Amino acid sequence: MSLLSFQCRHRYPGGFELDVAFEVDHPVTSLFGPSGSGKTSVLAAIAGFLYPTSGAVRLGDQTLLDTAAGLHLPPEQRRVGVVFQEHLLFPHMTVEANLRYGQKHRRQRRSVSMDRVVEVLQVGALLGRYPGKLSGGERQRVAIGRALLSGPELLLMDEPLASLDRALKTRILTYLERVVTEWGIPTLFVTHSQAEVRRLAHWVIVLKQGRVVADGRPDEALSRPEPLGWKNSMGPANLLRLDPVEFHEGHAHGRIGDQSLYVPLEETPAGAPLFVQFTPIDVIVCRHDVHGVSARNHLLGRVCQIVPVEKAVFVAIDVGQILWAEVTPEAVTELALEPGSEVTCLLKAHSLHVVE
Amino acid sequence: MLPLSSILLEPEEWSALWLSAQVASCAAMAGLPLAVAVAYLLARGRFAGKWLVETVVNLPLVLPPVVTGYLLLVCFSPRGPIGSVLESWFGVRVVFTTAAAVLAAMVVSFPLMVRAIRLAFQAVDPRLEVAARSLGAGRLTTFFTVTLPLARRGMIAGWMLAFARSLGEFGATIMVASNISGRTRTIPLEIHRLANTPPDGITRCWRLVLVSVVLACGALVVSELLERRHSRHESA
Repeated sequence: MSLLSFQCRHRYPGGFELDVAFEVDHPVTSLFGPSGSGKTSVLAAIAGFLYPTSGAVRLGDQTLLDTAAGLHLPPEQRRVGVVFQEHLLFPHMTVEANLRYGQKHRRQRRSVSMDRVVEVLQVGALLGRYPGKLSGGERQRVAIGRALLSGPELLLMDEPLASLDRALKTRILTYLERVVTEWGIPTLFVTHSQAEVRRLAHWVIVLKQGRVVADGRPDEALSRPEPLGWKNSMGPANLLRLDPVEFHEGHAHGRIGDQSLYVPLEETPAGAPLFVQFTPIDVIVCRHDVHGVSARNHLLGRVCQIVPVEKAVFVAIDVGQILWAEVTPEAVTELALEPGSEVTCLLKAHSLHVVE
Repeated sequence: MLPLSSILLEPEEWSALWLSAQVASCAAMAGLPLAVAVAYLLARGRFAGKWLVETVVNLPLVLPPVVTGYLLLVCFSPRGPIGSVLESWFGVRVVFTTAAAVLAAMVVSFPLMVRAIRLAFQAVDPRLEVAARSLGAGRLTTFFTVTLPLARRGMIAGWMLAFARSLGEFGATIMVASNISGRTRTIPLEIHRLANTPPDGITRCWRLVLVSVVLACGALVVSELLERRHSRHESA
């Protein structure tokens, strides 16, 4: 039996129709899609704030919603913790009272220790303060702790990083990873960032216009030419995982399979794994390895997919992990690229952005 | 120059002042729970006939107080629809008593109170209520732990406004409670009586006028102070 099974149809007065069904079996599942694709509605239906036209939602052995049977469990009786896009801490309570709110009002089945939460999220120094006096990152950490302490069987996160700036995002992401490893509470994570999906999720469900258009392991699902649109932020993005990594003064060598990637660094990050991000347009594809070029990184790989889009062609290349290169149709003809072709990818070291 | 003795209030005036304070605070207290309920209903509720509730609540604001008083008199008189029930079931007669003065003040100040509290409820982010419920708090718990504490400034403001309005209540009071010394003769009624008492009534009014001004200012200052103390950590 899966952990969560979800099947709902809902018609909004404006005409938007949500028709989504999926199962969750993995520790961290991501709901991915452009804004307006219905991600937040799915969360609202699971948490009990949206009463869909028809459908059923089961969490473990508990039925949360069954329109056929007229069953609609109110939100407070569902063991579902929510981390909202904006922290939504109670402004009239201290951080400690905020953290304990869920503990106080929900009978616990899964017990989460206050001390552990304070330690893992490093909020000890904030306990006596009011949310108004906290920074954005501190608030979001407290909000995550508050959801954890309500002892949920499932954690829902509605773009918890969207309102934070880039540097904070990566730090909170680190905290989220710790939370996932520490408590192993199944998590459904809504985002429109590919980097977040690839870092956190074991499974991804891709939504578009209220429908599931793809699902699978992040690598696979996000590299399929399915209809997310290629020429926008939803299009292919590259995120390579380097593990292990060796650090030297000002740069790092990370392994991808049996190849090595050179990454310039401004400061030494915490350690492996290291994630690097770059756009498909930064990748130069060669039929043979070349010498005497400035590009530091030469990765050997095999073409696995070719997707023409308007005036460009996206080429998926397996270098141990899949990466995407964007080239012209002429280049494809000239290099005689086809699935199976062996190629070398050139990557300028400075086109790589480290995602901590 | 006025002689010093004329600054001190006469017994009759003391009694009016004391009665006014009692009537106004009782009216504001008695109106509060109902005002909170009605304000919450109007701020958050979506139901058929909401406009009707709104109209009825606001009626005393636009009706001449004398008309409000007349309607109360009709309802609460021993033969009226409410008065007869009170009399036969509980043996209680309301009209021309201090209770009637409280009733009149409460009804007339009610819309002001509802308005202030309703605005405060509307200013509470409903998503905080959603968050509370996702943490296991039921509707009622959410209301008492999140909505109400966050709206308390509006409640204080509403209470003060109702208190100040009750202090000044005249028209409805004189209709339903009459002008009985020590029982229903509040400051405005005493001022009215003095002003109609020749030859020196007009000049004797000024002390009570001064008292009224001081009370009104005091209420404003107190509500301002309370508001400031409570808002310290929530801003920023």
